[in-house]
Amino acid sequence: MSATSFAIETRGVTRVFDSRKGFLFREVSRTEALKGVDLAVEQGAIFGLLGPNGAGKTTLTKILSTLLLPTGGRAFVLGHDVVTDAEWLRPRIGLVLGGERGLYNRISGRENLRYFADLYGLPTAERERRIEEILERVDLSSAADRRVEEYSRGMKQKLHLARGILHRPQVLFLDEPTIGLDPKSARETRKLVRSLVADGVTIFLTTHYMFEAEELCPQLAILSKGRIVARDTVARLRQLVGGDRTLEAEAYGFEDSEVSALRRLPGVSKIIEEEYGPRTRLTLRVRTDEIRPDDVRALLPDHPELEVKERRTSLEDVYLDLVEEEAH
Amino acid sequence: METVANEVSRGRSTVASLRIAILQFLADPQWLIPSMIAPVVFALVSYELFRGSGPYFLTYAILGAGMMSMWGQTLYGSGWATAQDREFGTLEPTIQSPTPYLYVILGRVLWNVLSGLFGGLIVYAVIVVAAGGPPALPDPLGFAILFVFVMLSLASVGVVFAAFYVYTRYAGFIQNIGEFAFYVGTGCMFPVVLLPFWTNPISLVFPPTWGLDALRYLAIPGYRGFGWGFWVDLLGALGTTVAYLAIAGSIFHRVERHVLEEGNLSQY
Repeated sequence: MSATSFAIETRGVTRVFDSRKGFLFREVSRTEALKGVDLAVEQGAIFGLLGPNGAGKTTLTKILSTLLLPTGGRAFVLGHDVVTDAEWLRPRIGLVLGGERGLYNRISGRENLRYFADLYGLPTAERERRIEEILERVDLSSAADRRVEEYSRGMKQKLHLARGILHRPQVLFLDEPTIGLDPKSARETRKLVRSLVADGVTIFLTTHYMFEAEELCPQLAILSKGRIVARDTVARLRQLVGGDRTLEAEAYGFEDSEVSALRRLPGVSKIIEEEYGPRTRLTLRVRTDEIRPDDVRALLPDHPELEVKERRTSLEDVYLDLVEEEAH
Repeated sequence: METVANEVSRGRSTVASLRIAILQFLADPQWLIPSMIAPVVFALVSYELFRGSGPYFLTYAILGAGMMSMWGQTLYGSGWATAQDREFGTLEPTIQSPTPYLYVILGRVLWNVLSGLFGGLIVYAVIVVAAGGPPALPDPLGFAILFVFVMLSLASVGVVFAAFYVYTRYAGFIQNIGEFAFYVGTGCMFPVVLLPFWTNPISLVFPPTWGLDALRYLAIPGYRGFGWGFWVDLLGALGTTVAYLAIAGSIFHRVERHVLEEGNLSQY
């Protein structure tokens, strides 16, 4: 029986890794990769999980795809517990870990797919037709009978994807699906992901690329040091870090009094100060439309070299702000 | 979207695993060439070793060289393939599929038995040519059937060993320690009764010990071995083989649970 109506739900999921060193005198060190993750993903949605290296994204993906047991908490996919109902879940979910590994390199792409089609129990009559269809969908038909070791990184990634969707999973986990791909291949991959959602597949995607998350994921979460630090739509996350608009002022250093003056401007929710060699950049998150670049220039009259730019707050800004806050 | 995956056929998964093992073997000449050359070398060494040892020396030579060329592949082939799965990164997607990993191993075991038998045939052919004729076998058909069974019994130990390769990336270390001891201890090259008495109970834990003794009973008139007779040896081989398969069936589930707890599937 389903325990939840969400496609994916986690309740306080934790994961601790013990690593051991030494042979006779074993030394055990513990790493808390996940520290109580709560998430819910609607059926048929694309959900993005962002986070720096080591944040726990792959750990969470592996737990949800039944490849790793959580240390604590519970996780459900399609309403079924990933620990106790793994056998039921495996035919219904797909996993794309990507990268250079994970494929049999000395045999052809088609043979790789045949093997996994059999392991997934695709009916024999359906198998060849489905493989043809998938190869065409990922644009690998012409290379299908070549050895995988002759494939480029992008082609291997496409084969990973093909394997992940071969059995028509209801939920697909994509761990960094476009990492290392050239722009054209990455764009094709994103197009494929969108088409899968149109077919009703729920996608759980981890990525480093902010534009990709912004483009693909209406809902996303930011994971940092094993905790979800924010979870919402991109628009709401912008508000969370201080507003839709960002003003950047750059010069050869600023006085504390100048920064304080900027901080007192109405609508300025946050100022981030960063050093770039001899120059300093002040990044102002602004909640209202009232403040213009000229208002900033007016408060910094002693900087003839001053440059002030206005732009929309990007997901990258949101990400960096939140991850930075978590780090402190 | 409707999931097309049906109830997984374990038989089909095993055949798929056998097929991929053959394709990988054929794709890589580094395996193909030694698997044909090594049996020739073993056969010639064994022939020289047993030459002049009596009228049935040819059978000893064939058994010794045959097992030498077959046992490693049959016993450890499945484990090596799992180690390769770790290295290639294919262990994770395979474990993540609905097929229990044991059936993937069984497909590989079948391939290892087949390729082992191919090596055995090469040994047979080389010794027949070297000796100028086939060995004197009282019951060639019985010998052939029992020979295949001994290979399967060897493979049943291999399935259990393969579980260690899933369990830990350090399984190769354990194998390297036990490799030669297992070869000598199960009587691959010469009868176990020639070894110190205290080693015999250890040897009897392994099905090939019983199977090889039974083979020698069948092939060499007057052979005494353990002195229990052919049928006891055969029952011992059957019993221990069934026990190993039962152990394999029960431990794979636990091993899988362990690796999911440890999260070491991608380590190699």
